[in-house]
Amino acid sequence: MKFTKFIFSTLNLSREYLESIFSLASKIEQNPENYLNKCNGKILAILFFEPSTRTMLSFESAMLRLGGSILGFASGKTSSSAKGETIADTLRMINGYADIAVIRHYLEGVGEIAKKYSSIPVISGGTGTQAHPTQAMLDLYTIKKAFGKIDGLKIALMGDLKYGRTIPSLLYGLAKYDDVTLYLISPKELKIRSHVRQRLNGFNLKFYEIDDISQIIDELDVLYVTRIQKERFPDQLDYERLKSSYKISPETLNNVKDSFILLHPLPRVDEITPEVDSLPCAKYFEQAKNGVFVRMALILNLLGVE
Amino acid sequence: METVEEKKLIVTKIKEGTVIDRIPPGKALKVLHVLGINDNYPYTVALAMRVKSKKMQLKDIVKIKGKMLTSEESQKLSLIAPNAVVNIINDYKVEKKIVLEIPEQVSEIIKCLNPNCVTNNREPVFPSFSVISKEPLILQCKYCDRLLEGQNLSEQL
Ligand SMILES: Nc1ncnc2c1ncn2[C@@H]1O[C@H](COP(=O)(O)OP(=O)(O)O)[C@@H](O)[C@H]1O
Ligand SMILES: [Mg+2]
Ligand SMILES: [Zn+2]
Repeated sequence: MKFTKFIFSTLNLSREYLESIFSLASKIEQNPENYLNKCNGKILAILFFEPSTRTMLSFESAMLRLGGSILGFASGKTSSSAKGETIADTLRMINGYADIAVIRHYLEGVGEIAKKYSSIPVISGGTGTQAHPTQAMLDLYTIKKAFGKIDGLKIALMGDLKYGRTIPSLLYGLAKYDDVTLYLISPKELKIRSHVRQRLNGFNLKFYEIDDISQIIDELDVLYVTRIQKERFPDQLDYERLKSSYKISPETLNNVKDSFILLHPLPRVDEITPEVDSLPCAKYFEQAKNGVFVRMALILNLLGVE
Repeated sequence: METVEEKKLIVTKIKEGTVIDRIPPGKALKVLHVLGINDNYPYTVALAMRVKSKKMQLKDIVKIKGKMLTSEESQKLSLIAPNAVVNIINDYKVEKKIVLEIPEQVSEIIKCLNPNCVTNNREPVFPSFSVISKEPLILQCKYCDRLLEGQNLSEQL
C-alpha cells in the first residue's frame, strides 16, 4: 500500500490510492477487532477552527477505535488563533504534541501551509469552500459498497454546488473513475465555480449542468443532495421559491431504479423530507457511519501502520 | 486610418536604456504604467503607438533612457505584452535582446482576490499562480484554486 502524508484534496489522489483506502476501510468494517490496538500510544490532534459535529466526532471515534488518543479544540475562539496566531505557528506547535493532525479551517489553501510547516501528517477536515476530501472519500466508499463499482454509474449532485465544500472533492474523486455520467443540478446562482468546471473539462468525464431533476431522476443510480443555505440568497423570495423545487419527498422518487441510492452529507434541514428516511434507497445514515471506517483507514495510512 | 512606418520614425538615439519593441498595438501606455514611468520621470522617453513594423503589422514601441528593468517588471510586462522584445541599449548599441514570454508560473507580483485565501491572511506564504491559459490569460491561485482573469487581472498589471 502506498503511504501519503497530507490529504487536502482529492485532485492529486490516484484511483489506485482511493481503492487501497476503500479496501482497507472494508476490512476494518468487517473485522474491527483486528484494529483495536493499531494506534496504541499515538495521538491525533483535532484542530477545528470552525464548528463541526459529524466530521469531528467521526475522526475522534476513528482514532479511539484504533486504540489511539485525541487532543485538540473545536472552535477558533477558544484557541490562540483568536489572539492572532498563524496556522503555520499552530501547526509547528502541534508537531510537538501529536503524531497526526486533522484541521478544519475557513481559510482556503491551508494544505500548502501544512505541507510547508508540518512534519507530522495532516488531513483536512474541511477547508473553506475549497475542499472536504474525507467526506468525498466516504461518499465514494458508500457508492462502491452499494454497487460494487463506481465505473459506468449515472450520478447526480443536487443543491448548493458553489459553496458546498464537498462538491469539488467529490467531483475530482468521481473523475478518477471510467465512464461516469454526472448531472449537476442547481439554481443558476449556485452552479459549480469556474475553476471546478475548468478542471472537470480536463477529465474524461461527461457532465451536464441542469436546473431540474425531474427529467433524469428515473435513470439515476445515485442522487447526492446537499443543503441550500438561506444566507446564500440576497433575496429571500428567491430562496423560498427554490427551496421547494430542490426538495426530495417520496413522490419525487416514485419511479427510480430498484438499485437507486440517495445520499446526503448531513446535516439535512428540509431538502429531504423525513418520510424518505424509511425507504430502502435512503442511505445517508449508513453513509455517516462509513465515515468512521474510511477515516480509520486514512489514519492508518498516514501513520504508516500496516 | 493612416499609419507611419517604423523607418520614418525619427527619434534621437539613446546612450543607455531600454527599448521595448513589438508591443501589442495600443499597449504602450500600459507598459509605461507597469514600469512606473510618469510625468516626473527625469530622462528621455519616446513612445510610438500603432506604427507599421517590417512585417507590416501594427505595433507599439517604447524607448526609455536610463532605465533597466527589474525581474518583477519583466514578469509583469510578459503578461501584458507577450512576445514584445526588450532591447538593452549600452553605448548606443543593442547589447542584449530578450523576447518576453508568458511564464508558466507567476509569483508575488499579483494578489489573489479571494479574501479567504491563506495568502491574504498573515500566513507566511506569498501569492503564486499557475498560468492555465495564455490566450486569454487565465491564472490559477496555487493555494485556493480560484481563477484570476479578465478585468480582475488587468487591473493588477
Ligand atoms: N541607441 C538606440 N536608441 C534608441 N533606439 C534604439 C537604439 N538602438 C536600437 N534601437 C531600437 O531598438 C529596436 C531594436 O533594434 P534592432 O535590434 O536594431 O532592430 P530589430 O529588433 O528590429 O531587428 C529598434 O526599434 C531600434 O530602433
Ligand atoms: Mg526593428
Ligand atoms: Zn488564492
